[in-house]
Amino acid sequence: MANTVIAHGITIEGELTSDEDVLIQGTLRGKLVSKDIVKVESGAVVEADISASSLSVGGQITGNVTASDRVDLMAGGRLIGDVKASRLTIADGASFKGNVDMDV
Amino acid sequence: MADVSVVGQGIFLRGSIRGEGDLEIRGRIEGDVEVGGDVTIGEGALIKADVTARRITVRGAVAGNLAGEDGVRLEQGARVVGDVRGASIGIAEGALLRGNVQTGHAAEGQRGRGRAAAAARPTARPEPRKAPAVTVAAKGNGSPRRGAPASEERAGPPPPVVPALKKGARAALRKRSR
Amino acid sequence: MARASSSTSHAGSAILGKGAQIRGRIAGDGDLRVEGAISGDVALTGDLVVSDGAEIVADVQARAVVVEGVIEGDISATSSVAIRAKARVSGAIRGTSISIEEGANVSGRIDAEFDLPPELGGKSR
Repeated sequence: MANTVIAHGITIEGELTSDEDVLIQGTLRGKLVSKDIVKVESGAVVEADISASSLSVGGQITGNVTASDRVDLMAGGRLIGDVKASRLTIADGASFKGNVDMDV
Repeated sequence: MADVSVVGQGIFLRGSIRGEGDLEIRGRIEGDVEVGGDVTIGEGALIKADVTARRITVRGAVAGNLAGEDGVRLEQGARVVGDVRGASIGIAEGALLRGNVQTGHAAEGQRGRGRAAAAARPTARPEPRKAPAVTVAAKGNGSPRRGAPASEERAGPPPPVVPALKKGARAALRKRSR
Repeated sequence: MARASSSTSHAGSAILGKGAQIRGRIAGDGDLRVEGAISGDVALTGDLVVSDGAEIVADVQARAVVVEGVIEGDISATSSVAIRAKARVSGAIRGTSISIEEGANVSGRIDAEFDLPPELGGKSR
C-alpha cells in the first residue's frame, strides 16, 4: 500500500522527489525520483523520466527509466524510453520501444 | 470517478497539482495546487503554493493564498501566511494566520458600506479558480479607516448613527455569509 | 458633535442596552457589553462583548473581545478575539489568539505573531 497515491483525475506537472512508495493512477509530467518502489497502474499516463528502486509498469510511460533493482513491464503496459535496470521483465501483451542497459 | 490522492510525508514536489478529486497533502510542495475537490493539508505539510479547491482544511504550514469555494478551515496547528478566501472561514483557537480574510463567494463582492468595501479590495479577484503562480501572500494594509477619503459613501455629511440592524438585514447577512 | 465619555471607577461591567445609540468615544476600565449601536472608538482595559444585533462603527481596543454582532473597524485585543458565527467584521484583527466560527462574515486582515517553518521562509530556531 503506497504512501503516496496520485489518483485518476489528478495531473501533476513538475519534479517529484520521494522517499517512499509512489502509486500513479493519474497523470504525471516532468520527472520522478523515488528512493522506493514506483508503480504506474493501468490508466495512468506518465511523461517523465523515472528513477526508482523498482518500477512496475501497467500504464503508459514515455520517458527513460532507471531502477536500482528491477523494472517489470506488465501486460497492457506501455513503455517508450530507455531502461536501465539490473533486472527486467516484459510480459506478453506489453509494449516496449527503447534501449535496455542491464549492466548497472 | 475521482478518488483521494495522497502526497505522502516523504514527497517533495516542485510543480503543480491539478484535476478533479480530493487531495491529502502531508509532504512538501512548491508550486501551485488547484483541484475540484477537497484539500486537506496535514500537520507536517509544508506548502509554498496557492491552493484553490472546493473546501480546504489546514493543519500544517502554508505560505500562499487559500481559496475554498465552499469554505476554508484552519485547525489548531495551522500556520498560514497568505490571504484566505471562502464561502465561510473557520479559524480555530491555536491556528495562526497572517493575511487578509474574506468570507463570501468571490462572485458576490462586498455589498457592505464603504469601509467594508475598502477592506475587501486588496483580495478581490475576478474568479476563484484563477490561482496565480506561487505568491507569498502578506498583502498590504487591508484595514479600513473610518472616514477614508476614497470611500464612496462619505461624499456628503457624516451619516447618522445607525440603529440596530434593520428588518431583513440579518437574513441578508446570513445569506451573504453562506 | 457630542462627546460621550464613560469611565467606571471600579472594574465593573457596563451594558449599552439595545435601544441605545452613542455617537462618540467610549473609554473605560471595566468590561463592556454592547447591545446597541456605537459610532465612535471604544477603548477598554476590560473585555468587550458585542452582542447579536449590536453594531460598532469604529475601532475597538480591549482585553478580550467577543463579537456576535457587527464591528466595522479595527479590533485590537491584548488577549483573545472570538468572532462568532453571526458576526460581521470588517477591519484588521489583532490579538494573542484569534478564532473565527464558520458562518461569520469577515472582511479584513489578521496579523498573528509567529514564524513559518524555515523551509517556507520563516526564521530557523
